[in-house]
Amino acid sequence: MRQRLETWLTGPRLLTLGIVGALAWSLSRVEWQQPIAHTGGGAAALQVLLALFPPELSGEFLRICVVASWHTMAYAVAGMSLAVLLGLPLGVLASGVLAERQSAGRRVAAASVRLLLAAMRSVHELVWALLFVAAVGLSPMAAILAMAIPYAGILGRIYAELLQDVPSEPIAALKTTGASPLRVLLYGYLPMALPDLLSYTFYRLECGIRAAAIMSFVGIDGIGFQIELSLADLLFRQVWTLLIFLVALVVAVDWWSTRVRRSLAY
Amino acid sequence: MERTGAEQTRPQGQARQRISTLRWSVYVAMLLTAAAWGFILLDGDSGFGDLFRERTWQNAGRFVAGLAGAGTDGASSFAQPGRWLETGRLALNTLAMSVLAMGIAGGGALALLMPGARTVSDGTLGGSPSRAGRGVYAAVRVFYMLTRAIPELVWAMLIVFFLSPGILPGALALGIHNLGIVGRLTSEVVENLDPAPARALRAAGASGPKVLLYGVFPQALPMFLTFLLYRWEVVIRTTVVVGFLNAGGLGREFRLRMSWFHYDEVGLLLAWYLLLVVAVDVLSAQLRRRVRWE
Repeated sequence: MRQRLETWLTGPRLLTLGIVGALAWSLSRVEWQQPIAHTGGGAAALQVLLALFPPELSGEFLRICVVASWHTMAYAVAGMSLAVLLGLPLGVLASGVLAERQSAGRRVAAASVRLLLAAMRSVHELVWALLFVAAVGLSPMAAILAMAIPYAGILGRIYAELLQDVPSEPIAALKTTGASPLRVLLYGYLPMALPDLLSYTFYRLECGIRAAAIMSFVGIDGIGFQIELSLADLLFRQVWTLLIFLVALVVAVDWWSTRVRRSLAY
Repeated sequence: MERTGAEQTRPQGQARQRISTLRWSVYVAMLLTAAAWGFILLDGDSGFGDLFRERTWQNAGRFVAGLAGAGTDGASSFAQPGRWLETGRLALNTLAMSVLAMGIAGGGALALLMPGARTVSDGTLGGSPSRAGRGVYAAVRVFYMLTRAIPELVWAMLIVFFLSPGILPGALALGIHNLGIVGRLTSEVVENLDPAPARALRAAGASGPKVLLYGVFPQALPMFLTFLLYRWEVVIRTTVVVGFLNAGGLGREFRLRMSWFHYDEVGLLLAWYLLLVVAVDVLSAQLRRRVRWE
């Protein structure tokens, strides 16, 4: 009996059981005894939907939307640039390409940088933001730093992997000419990995826009902040306009980054 | 990294256009970066100067010490096993929220797997192309684009408006956003897979569901599960953020304790958060390896 169970419970069946079990467990933790919707939640939903026809389009409000979009964009770009500035050196160190030969000490150094990168990206940018606000006070700089830390953690990890994937023959050729590790990095690794590095950075920019939009949660101006304000005032028509601006901004950046990545692809 | 022969003989005009795209993109990126930093540093109080003041760092030091339990009246939360247990229950809720969110995203992506792939509607996978199929395809892709473009937290802000607080609204917000991401990736897998098995099945007279089951699933499922597991690692980090909005789990408690200045409690919640993140990362890496072996 036991043996038959064991032969039956292999691979796909085990996986399916695991997934079904996990879902059932998660459903069991939902508080079903209370009604799923608020009292009046349905009416509110209808009211929100009807507010789309038409959304708030007065010139004054559109100006607010444009300014909020620019703030979101500016914080995203600033955060991303700081993340690249932090992530690139860390990624180079984590990849271990600077080491002339492999030694135990070098390996420990690279591993500890990788651990640092993992720690940076294990906390969500908004949690970093809340911690920064408590530690150094509320300011745009705190929000930018909060965004740059986890993004640098992700960029550093991916940069390290891309540097390690560089073909080894040109590197070996450079080394036989007696180039120092720094020169090998500057004239070998970085130029060869550049298309992929740029490609991934542009891909991340799209995520950066969304991250910057929700930085409003700690009180930084931007689309998310305006959405929060309009929701609090029950001005659903304004919420729709802001959502349209947010989607347009994300889609525009997505379009741009796709074009860049396509032009970089081999 | 390999270049195939066809790509090497790409017309020169196309290559030139690629380079010009790249050039203006780099210029625009540089201009944007300069403008963004100029705006932030010049526009009133950016807080940049504060980073170089001693008081800022003294405050930060006090805050970090507070997280570790210094300066609390009585025993810090770390020293109380009861607090560990109570916050552990919240951590379990957060984990359940992330699993439920992945269920919503995965279930939705599976349901929309076929209509969301261009190769289905244009008849590459057998069957006849139809205008209705193309319309549904476009609708699904626009739906993915919208759900993806709006961040989880904004979805949560909207959803807590209608639903009672708890892990369900949080899971729904996370699920909707990730449906857009996983759905698009999976549809692209279906578009790129080898159409031969599906066409052969169709030619042999197999019904739609059978083509899906025997022609598409076996090829697409490993990638689908891999995407789902990757997203799970992101989702577990985001559950806390969604929880800020009364959506239950660690996040709500985190925000409340933060505003009450109970920093030792915040430290304990952070410890659980990090534990969850590491556990999910390890589990996901293990499962991803299994999935690939099959």
